[in-house]
Amino acid sequence: MNRLEKLAGRLRGAAELVVVLLLGSMFVTFLVQIAFRYLLSLPLGWTVEYVTMAWLWGILFGYAFVVRDDDVIRFDLVYAAVPPPVRRGMDILTGLACAGILLWSLPKAWDFVLFMGIERTAYMRLPFDLLFAIYVPFAIAVSLRALLGVWHALRGEAHRPGPPRDLEHD
Amino acid sequence: MIDPFVVSMVLIVGLAICGLSVGIAMLCGSIVYLALKGFDTSIAAETVLQGLFGSYTLLAIPLFILAADIMNVGSLADRLLRFSQALVGRFRGGLGHVNVVSSLIFSGMSGSAVADAVGMGRIIIGMMTRDGRYTASYAAAITAASATIGPIIPPSIPMVLYALVSDTSIGYLFAAGILPGLLMGLMLAVMNAVMARRRHFPVDEAVPLRQIPGVTLRAVPALLLPVILLGGIYGGVMTPTEAAAMAAFYALLISILLYRSVSAGQFYRTLLSSARSTATVGVLIAGALAFNYVITREDVPDSLATIMQGLDLGPIGFLIAINILFLAIGCILEAGAILLIIVPIFIPSVLAMGIDPVHFGVIVVVNAMLGLITPPYGLLLFIVASITRQPLGAIVRDLWPFILALVAALAVITFVPGFVLFVPRLLGYQG
Repeated sequence: MNRLEKLAGRLRGAAELVVVLLLGSMFVTFLVQIAFRYLLSLPLGWTVEYVTMAWLWGILFGYAFVVRDDDVIRFDLVYAAVPPPVRRGMDILTGLACAGILLWSLPKAWDFVLFMGIERTAYMRLPFDLLFAIYVPFAIAVSLRALLGVWHALRGEAHRPGPPRDLEHD
Repeated sequence: MIDPFVVSMVLIVGLAICGLSVGIAMLCGSIVYLALKGFDTSIAAETVLQGLFGSYTLLAIPLFILAADIMNVGSLADRLLRFSQALVGRFRGGLGHVNVVSSLIFSGMSGSAVADAVGMGRIIIGMMTRDGRYTASYAAAITAASATIGPIIPPSIPMVLYALVSDTSIGYLFAAGILPGLLMGLMLAVMNAVMARRRHFPVDEAVPLRQIPGVTLRAVPALLLPVILLGGIYGGVMTPTEAAAMAAFYALLISILLYRSVSAGQFYRTLLSSARSTATVGVLIAGALAFNYVITREDVPDSLATIMQGLDLGPIGFLIAINILFLAIGCILEAGAILLIIVPIFIPSVLAMGIDPVHFGVIVVVNAMLGLITPPYGLLLFIVASITRQPLGAIVRDLWPFILALVAALAVITFVPGFVLFVPRLLGYQG
């Protein structure tokens, strides 16, 4: 168990490093873009492509592997007010529905991603299937996390508290 | 045969009420809608992926989040507070005024109400409650109320969201927020003065005149940030998205070079927490993109526009109804969710009524911000409650006068379009 926890910790650290690099490089790329356009009068095309890619990946990868359960934006007015057994029932319901729908629709989504391989981005010539492939691990991870919630609920553990939750931005 | 749209709506609301992430609930509901309609379900994934990849302007969001996080790590907030104290600390209820003024200044740098409450809010609540000069609940209440100004005065993350769903210029929206934001600050200050007199709040020792130049000088680099931001955007030098990157860069620069308050480890953690917030908001946007496909497919906004015109409310009646509706929704829904889900449904009605979309944008963002402090569900309420460890009930009791003050400001903002559009028109807005 201990080894497993250590591994999980390492994986989490690695995932965090990925999103930090994505956001950090997005930030730096913007500065490069501004410098080239206004200081050197050399507008760059690849920067716009890179930052939007980092944005897309940052969101889907970040949500799948880095965002904690209590960071998530949810409507927890009712959830927080009901007694724990009802809450567990809700967890089972939402977990099964979410995982069921996402996994059931995954093959079609996968087809779409593969289909996009015929197109490439304008500047960096990246194939779109590579760019959009992040949807697949995103859908799988979100489904697995939902099923994990179901598992916790079945074992009678509350896996997350009600509000006030962690801070995010509006 | 049950209507696929009704099924998907029930599913989304049901899943959301049962505690599923709102963004994921919308994504799931949209997939079910497509399946019931017999469409290819991959349209949902396609809409999300193409939508996120194609939305360059939305990149202002992670950058504004990063800028605000950097400012909160550095001692920038501290210096601004000391400057505000030198400015307005000498009056009765002085720290309340300091709270409002520092929020006004900070809102010119950050686009997030939460960043304001978490950063500045934490420090000023500490100052106000030290030696029991103000009750903790009063300090919490005025902090939450003044934090709502953050996204009204530019920059503003909610306005970027509104620009996305309404196809309005971010630059003009930002400009339209300036006077309303100042008005909100004024209203709060007046209410604070009234409360200070009535509840006999202490008069603090004034900052000696000879210290004022020094305090101001130390705050100048921070005070320059709004000037750079707005100058860059309205001088036509930078897009709002690039201005967001510059804001983050400038904040980092002065925090490292001048204030020497950000270490490498801190910067890593700041990036991580910004990335987390970005992904959280991003998935809400992703869900909204998928759901907006459904809404558009069903022609909901246009049907609503026809109904609204049939009701013959007139623009004023419509705006009153909208304000009441949004204030009610704001009591239970997140600001981002309101702007991304509810607002797009009304946009065609707004245009059909001849209401200016920039004016309408300011109205709904102010409404959404009021939603952050109206019980039972308000993010800012939860934040100040967790900072002060006060029960929500006590805070809400002290908050009512401020909510009233802000509603009064909202009334002016709603009924005097010329006031809201004054600055955008100066900048060439044809509306």
